[in-house]
Amino acid sequence: MDSLDIVFTGFLISALRSATPLLLTLLGECLGQRTGVINLGAEGQMLVGAMAGYGATAAFGNPWVGLLAGAGAGVALSAVHALLVVGAQANQFASGLAVWMLGFGLSAYFGAALVGQQVTAFDSIDVGAAAQWPVIGSVIAGMTPTVLLALLLVPVIGLWFYRTRTGLRWRAVGESPAAARAAGVSPATVQIQAVLVGGLLSGLGGAALSVDYTRTWAEGMSAGRGLVAVGLVIVARWNPWWTLPAALLFGGAEALSLRLQTADTPISAQLLHILPYLVSLVVLTLTCLRRSDSGTPAGLKAVMDR
Amino acid sequence: MHVSLAGITKRYGAILANDDVDLDLVPGEVVALLGENGAGKSTLMKILFGFQQADAGEIRIDGRPVVIDSPRAAAALGIGMVFQQFSLVPALTVRENLALGHRCTPWWIGRGARSFAAPVAHLRDIAPEIEPDLPVSRLAVGEMQLVELAKVLNLDAGVVILDEPTSVLTPAESERLWEQVRRIAAGGAAVVLITHKLEDVFACAQRVAVMRRGRMVATLDTSSVTPDALVRLIVGAETVTTAQPVERTADALPRAWIKNLSATTAAGAIAGVDLRIAAGEILGIAGVSGNGQQTLADAVAGLAILLAGEVIVDGETLQAPRAEMPAQSAVAYLPEQPLRNAVAPDLSVAVNLMLKRIRDLPWRSHPSQFDADARERITAFDIRPTDPRATAASLSGGNLQKLVAARELAGAPALIVACYPTMGLDLGAAAAVYEALFAHARRGAAVLWISEDLDDLLRYAHRIAVLHRGRIAGIADTAQATRRQLGAWMVGHSIDVAAEPAHA
Ligand SMILES: Nc1ncnc2c1ncn2[C@@H]1O[C@H](COP(=O)(O)OP(=O)(O)OP(=O)(O)O)[C@@H](O)[C@H]1O
Ligand SMILES: [Mg+2]
Repeated sequence: MDSLDIVFTGFLISALRSATPLLLTLLGECLGQRTGVINLGAEGQMLVGAMAGYGATAAFGNPWVGLLAGAGAGVALSAVHALLVVGAQANQFASGLAVWMLGFGLSAYFGAALVGQQVTAFDSIDVGAAAQWPVIGSVIAGMTPTVLLALLLVPVIGLWFYRTRTGLRWRAVGESPAAARAAGVSPATVQIQAVLVGGLLSGLGGAALSVDYTRTWAEGMSAGRGLVAVGLVIVARWNPWWTLPAALLFGGAEALSLRLQTADTPISAQLLHILPYLVSLVVLTLTCLRRSDSGTPAGLKAVMDR
Repeated sequence: MHVSLAGITKRYGAILANDDVDLDLVPGEVVALLGENGAGKSTLMKILFGFQQADAGEIRIDGRPVVIDSPRAAAALGIGMVFQQFSLVPALTVRENLALGHRCTPWWIGRGARSFAAPVAHLRDIAPEIEPDLPVSRLAVGEMQLVELAKVLNLDAGVVILDEPTSVLTPAESERLWEQVRRIAAGGAAVVLITHKLEDVFACAQRVAVMRRGRMVATLDTSSVTPDALVRLIVGAETVTTAQPVERTADALPRAWIKNLSATTAAGAIAGVDLRIAAGEILGIAGVSGNGQQTLADAVAGLAILLAGEVIVDGETLQAPRAEMPAQSAVAYLPEQPLRNAVAPDLSVAVNLMLKRIRDLPWRSHPSQFDADARERITAFDIRPTDPRATAASLSGGNLQKLVAARELAGAPALIVACYPTMGLDLGAAAAVYEALFAHARRGAAVLWISEDLDDLLRYAHRIAVLHRGRIAGIADTAQATRRQLGAWMVGHSIDVAAEPAHA
């Protein structure tokens, strides 16, 4: 294997690993927005997911338990958003901000004891003969379980969303709640389900971040990934299939900035840290400049207009 | 399934939309539900369909009281409804829309049309020309109506409610619908047909129920009533006058020139449409819906981006590719589907009436200022309720149409583009809107009038052009026009360019 190949696969692996927490959150946020609910609380849900996931892994010594705990915490926190927005018809942005702050506070409070603790890592996955495949073999061998899980979820959710009856109902609710209601679908039920699924995925994303990607817990460690997810949904054109390239954009930029830092470039580390956010922002702006709002669920436009 | 509504009462704020209404629906029978705009017809049927809850009263099925608290519950009981304001999801395809409400849609739909054929079976029956994989937003109103009907047929419903299904259909489309309605009733369902068109009543209803201001004023057999008696029942003590046609002025100056217009919108495309309208002339546009009527109207009114051509009014170019939209438009526009295209539903009637003049408002204006102004328009067009602060969304379908007419027909526009301006209006209101429209023609405005009602076009228009596939298939003076010729043009036969009279 020549060195270029190694550099390339190494970069791809680190991009994938960095993109994974974001990808999971992005998928969840995408589903929510497609049913007409925007959730700024994704950031807070990631934080409680990261904290609960880390704590459970430390307590039980099993990262899988950690992922479960993270997902559960995400669902629990998103239930607040579902209750406020769908139940009490509260403003989605205000409720989202409240959930974000709540998640930040809760995770900081309960996570204080976790700082500095060690956790057991995932066993590396045995991919068997696949590791020998040319080029992608080494990428597959370098994957962790959460990366694999996130990559699998993209087609699963994509197919489910566009090819099943439930997916159709969700899409209908996001486009026109009144029409969906006339067709016998309850928009409130669908929206609650979507917010909870969003909570599950962002909690999972948070857990993937702390248990698998960084293997530490620190206050506010999601560092805006949840909010980036809210914005990248636009780049992904509200299409679950497009969440993968959108998340890789962020992941790739972060991998690049890490490379540049270790390579002792004269650019300051602080500046390099903003690279993934900068890239996301630029792409988001470019996407919006094209002006065509194809893909925006009509129900979401109604939310923005309020 | 025998359904009876007893003592249904529904109040919206100060308005009593339904006041102690009784209605019996018998299997195999078509009931025509008639009444003026805002009489409460839609409200009554929305209550039966579970879309709204009655304040008082009871619904019994086969003598057993039932609670219908959602459309889902209604569908489970075998009650289906086609709404006056369409309830299709525009971004989804026809097939997806049909599958959404279909009982036997499998969990896994897949992309293949095979497993997905059941929902479109009825549509194939009633409208084979509609492509099921087209997004609904690309369909014309008439086509949407048929999709809506297919949706209800899919329910195998015991009660089928149709809210003004024929208001935008061409005569041929209406006949097709009547046939479907008779077929549904023959299959043992009870059908409620809300309509303002008396021909609908005599074509397929066995019984008529008439509502006025929230109350049921009469239910009788169709065979025992004459059209005149029916009209008197609907309007009560008021007298209806029909609009008088506008005399054609012989050597009128040309006022508007739609010059070689091409445009594409989501609703369709037009290519090379060239029409001249003289001062005081009413040019009717006929055609099967979906042949570019909406695009033509949007393009002339300045809402579509033009690919080529110009719209010249009084010698001034108003619309051209890449032209700035003039601040004060000399064009008045009454678009189709007013709820979607012409009002801000959450704003008050008064504000909606002001929208055209919004740029002239003082920086700080008090709502009470335009209330007075609005009241005048509200009485002039008999918009009900008369409260200028009511939101536009709370108006009945016909009253919304009146609201848009009241706004657009104020002032002195040089060119008026009117799409189905009387859609959903009762006889009196339709006459009033025609009168207002024709008053502008008498004053010297040019009128471009899109309609599917050939009778009205032949009675009131001076010339009739037929659109087919986005092009003018033919144009004729009304005096010389025959239904056969127009019908042939509508389906694209014998494009007779020579029929264009030398007119300039
Ligand atoms: N959601 C609502 N909020 C407030 N008022 C309403 C609402 N829906 C209907 N109304 C009022 O109730 C009355 C009856 O309306 P409805 O829609 O039943 O009339 P309709 O007989 O169907 O008239 P049309 O022929 O114009 O469709 C009207 O005065 C209308 O303004
Ligand atoms: Mg109505």
